[in-house]
Amino acid sequence: MSQNLRVKSSNFIDETSRISFKFNGKTYYGFKGDTLASALLANDIHLVGRSFKYHRPRGIMTSGSEEPNAIVQVGNDKAITEPNVRATEVEIYNGLEAKSQNCWPSVNFDIGGINNFLSPLLPAGFYYKTFMWPASFWEKYEIAIRHSAGLGRSPTKPDTDIYEHRYIHCDVLVIGAGISGIMAAKTAAKNNLNTLLLDEKNELGGMTIYQNSEKFKIDNKISSEWLNDEIEELKKLDNLEIKTRTSVAAYHGYNYLLARENLTDHLSKDEKENKVRQRLLKIRAKKVIVATGSLERPLVFNNNDRPGIMLSSAVKKYADYYGVICGKNNIFFTNNDTAYESAISLLKKGINVHCIIDIRENSNSSIVKEAQDLGLKIYWSHTIVDTHGYKRLKQISIMELSKDGQSFANSNKIVLDCDCLGMSGGWTPAVHLFTQSGGKLKFREKDQVFIPNKYPSEQVSIGSCNGDFELDEIIKNSSDILKDFLKIEKTGFDNMNVETSKETSKKNIWLLPSDKIVGKTKPFVDYQNDATAKDIKLALREGFRSIEHVKRYTTTGMGTDQGKLGNMHALGIIADTTGVKMGEVGTTTFRPPYTPLTFGTIVGRNVGEYFDIFRRTPMNDWHINNNAEFENVGQWKRAWYYPRGNESMYEAVQRESKATRESAGILDASTLGKIDIQGSDASEFLNRVYTNAWSKLGIGKCRYGLMLNEDGMVYDDGVTTRLGENHYIMTTTTGGAANVLSKLEDYLQTEWPELDVYLTSVTDHFATATIGGPNSKKILNKLIPDLDLSDENFPHMSFKEEKIGKINCRIMRISFTGELSYEINIQASYGKSLWEQCMDAGKEFNITPYGTETMHLLRAEKGFIIVGQDTDGTMTPIDLQMDWVVSKKKYDFIGKRSLYRSDTMREDRKQMVGLLTDDPNTVLEEGAQIISELDQTPVKMLGHVTSSYFSPNLGKSIALAVVKGGKNMMGKKLFIPMEDKTINVTVVDPIFLDKENKKLNA
Amino acid sequence: MLNYTSPIKEVKKYSGLTVSEISPLMKLNLRGKSRDFLTTIGQNINIILPLEANTSASSENYTAIWLSPDEWMLVSNRTVNKENNDYEIEKLLFNKISKTNLGSVTDVSDQLVMINLNGEKIFDLLCTGSPFNFNDFRSIKGSSTQTLLAQIDVIIHHNQINSVNLFVRRSFSEHLMSWINDSASRL
Repeated sequence: MSQNLRVKSSNFIDETSRISFKFNGKTYYGFKGDTLASALLANDIHLVGRSFKYHRPRGIMTSGSEEPNAIVQVGNDKAITEPNVRATEVEIYNGLEAKSQNCWPSVNFDIGGINNFLSPLLPAGFYYKTFMWPASFWEKYEIAIRHSAGLGRSPTKPDTDIYEHRYIHCDVLVIGAGISGIMAAKTAAKNNLNTLLLDEKNELGGMTIYQNSEKFKIDNKISSEWLNDEIEELKKLDNLEIKTRTSVAAYHGYNYLLARENLTDHLSKDEKENKVRQRLLKIRAKKVIVATGSLERPLVFNNNDRPGIMLSSAVKKYADYYGVICGKNNIFFTNNDTAYESAISLLKKGINVHCIIDIRENSNSSIVKEAQDLGLKIYWSHTIVDTHGYKRLKQISIMELSKDGQSFANSNKIVLDCDCLGMSGGWTPAVHLFTQSGGKLKFREKDQVFIPNKYPSEQVSIGSCNGDFELDEIIKNSSDILKDFLKIEKTGFDNMNVETSKETSKKNIWLLPSDKIVGKTKPFVDYQNDATAKDIKLALREGFRSIEHVKRYTTTGMGTDQGKLGNMHALGIIADTTGVKMGEVGTTTFRPPYTPLTFGTIVGRNVGEYFDIFRRTPMNDWHINNNAEFENVGQWKRAWYYPRGNESMYEAVQRESKATRESAGILDASTLGKIDIQGSDASEFLNRVYTNAWSKLGIGKCRYGLMLNEDGMVYDDGVTTRLGENHYIMTTTTGGAANVLSKLEDYLQTEWPELDVYLTSVTDHFATATIGGPNSKKILNKLIPDLDLSDENFPHMSFKEEKIGKINCRIMRISFTGELSYEINIQASYGKSLWEQCMDAGKEFNITPYGTETMHLLRAEKGFIIVGQDTDGTMTPIDLQMDWVVSKKKYDFIGKRSLYRSDTMREDRKQMVGLLTDDPNTVLEEGAQIISELDQTPVKMLGHVTSSYFSPNLGKSIALAVVKGGKNMMGKKLFIPMEDKTINVTVVDPIFLDKENKKLNA
Repeated sequence: MLNYTSPIKEVKKYSGLTVSEISPLMKLNLRGKSRDFLTTIGQNINIILPLEANTSASSENYTAIWLSPDEWMLVSNRTVNKENNDYEIEKLLFNKISKTNLGSVTDVSDQLVMINLNGEKIFDLLCTGSPFNFNDFRSIKGSSTQTLLAQIDVIIHHNQINSVNLFVRRSFSEHLMSWINDSASRL
């Protein structure tokens, strides 16, 4: 039966705003400002989930992001539900639906709970030990293992929410808006530094903002009032940006940080409509001040995981901040003074606190005295040896500790009734982000904490994450550190009058003794993964020594909480068991993210149409309007083919290629890379870049060039035209354009600074329409009637500067198809209009637009290579049978030396050949392997097919291939083994059509 | 007669931001290292090319944007005629610079599309897609940079308060505009 456990109004909860939500299908109510955890506790719900391995009932343990137990599935729509959300971080809103995870059929009755009784059979390393044999059974085990693996359910459909990225640059980033973070942000902003303050909570002020004790005063004000005044002042500062609900996920090198800003998770469905849900902040900060505070430690004793067992600071926060009591009969268990603050806070609200169990012998701090004055019973030198109550804590058993704390002073056991146990094992500085950035820690023996030691960048840690836990220490030390770090003389927090209760006694026992042998107990270290102290001891017995190995063997610290609560205890138990000092054991590696990030946040708007960028040619709209199918070539969208009616790609390509050979075709070649080359050494530059010679190329002439890598392998190719004495325009492959320009610029700047050459990319400046086929000359003549198109005036491999109307253009007579072709380059904004005019002029000749697929077929008929299709970074020009393009006279060019290596000169390298199938209608598959002998074991692969088509112009199938020693195999029969048949082929010359170039000069 | 077609069809208005293409503009890429190169440019177009990185200089007719230690982009301040693409200044500089081997002059008028962003939320938009630090940039008129916006190479020129010109390769311009429209709709 749920009840309302709200005790009094709180400054942080709006009790006028009632919110309804569902948990496990049942409707509950909370108030605006509640988290799911506080609202459930207010309804007396402690049992919220089941642990991963043993399916033990678990309750809310903390009030923050370190929560290991209260992780829930949010949203009732399977398609867009979100798993593993911490109930302590979900702010409730109208319509929120959440349910427990890792339980079936319900959290109250979970079949998997049987694992708890089988736990003696499920020790650490159970999976590794059990599923090793018989090896053949692995696939059967896998089914069961996969079924039980993971927590929660993944959504089944794409996320419908919107996510964004934002880049922020600031002088000072302050992480954490507790008291030290507030001090830092105010100091930095007041010193004219552009400051960003982030906090994962929805309110500023950390723990101090609800610290209402007279024992803690600053400048004669109760610490919470003082801090509240500071925050009000802070909000007025101009050069300070404050972001709440923002958690820093990663701290990389050189002060580059990633943070997740939650924008709408706390809003109802209607309120969040069309708004960005989460934003990934990519922050570059000149200086970083880490003020992430510290995490309260639990205590490790038998059955320390029952619903109702919580951190003492969480019990206090639920009471002071949310106005919610976690139990009607509370007990605290501690090794330090923190639990006393919590107990006193409850007592002052009239909530029953039965007693405090303290493992210390005594303490005379003022806060302890206050508790005693309030009549609180304290069991000094006592420990809890067991707890009782399956789904909710009912009782605890305590015994008196011996002097050394490892056993008991006597055999008396006291059983106490309680429904909530607040435990405090001290505090662990939150050094996760510091270590992510590369910072090195040191171990402080006196209170057994790891604190920052060496900073790798312009950063500093202040407050309790730096090991300062007392209020006076925090203010004084933070102020001193800030002065030094920000290079200022005063902070405004110097010489403050601070009253605080000083802790006078400390005692820590990582694994508290039990009256049972350790093998019979369940002292949990990692709550989420059910790793106990006995698992750690087992790992050590089995020979694991490194903390990293123990972690992986026991799964300690590997849950969604990444062991924020238990990692220190694991280290302590290892140190105590092996007799090594804790500082020498070290910590496991803290990796990003600090708290889980949604995939949506990581991806941002790079989804759907923004997943990848695309480039379009000036004629793109025409292609769309004329039914083109597109293919991606690099980032370009290129027209692939233009189907008519119900034509398939094959049918369209056959039609397009035949029409081009018989009359005229037109191709959008705008995507080819174009580089303008100017300078007095331009010819020499080309000599060094290409394999052939350029000095004697006449002005107005074009030449094909092949570019090699330093290793002698073909890198790029294209036609370069000499526009003037020292002026060329180079074309590159579509996909290689950017890399070629970078490579050439790199050579000019680093290898050949003596050359007077300037490169400028003009790829996008020109639109290029290529008209080819026997009637192309007539079409061009219609476009530019005054141009003399005779072979004498305008021969193959030459260019003309012309005007179409009043618009300047460059026309190259070059060909990639073997047909008479003209490439018209015009300023891009006139490209679409040029294309339309070509279509009009070619109408009488049935000019046919063709795409990249037909282009590939036409050039294959002619035996022209495509770099990247017929080459793969391992082909030299000689391999391609293109010896003619390699100058033997030139002193040097890129890759020349490599062509004379013994390996590149081998006769049995893969070499480019043509293939014809015995059956002219059989078209080979590109990529198919080629062999010379059937029934060979192992079969010897000679090479593979690189390009293959059915040629309508030749009436047969043709293919290009690379074959070992192929140059000397002309006429040889080879075999292509396919899945269902073997295809017989004959090695032929790779030029299938018009070897004499009659068509080019027609 | 060939018609002029711009890749960006309309002016878009958002809260605190107006996005429009300005065309046609003449754009020349100028490259050179020598003192004579700088002097010749200065004498012919009445602009001293800026030598400080990420700055620009303007005259009545042209703006010169620094691109690298030996590279500048010269942009006409006013739109040019769509009816032809003969630019007298290009011819002049080509003859005085390229033909005399002082450097290079290349017409890049259609290589880059210029998108003008106007309004007080320019930098709110830019910071959603560009890693560049605009903190100083936004307060200095004439500052420029080459960076990425939505993963696309852009040149950004702060031509006046609450006005920024984005230069993007023509082939990327439709995608960039689509991204801008998406991102600006949430400003």
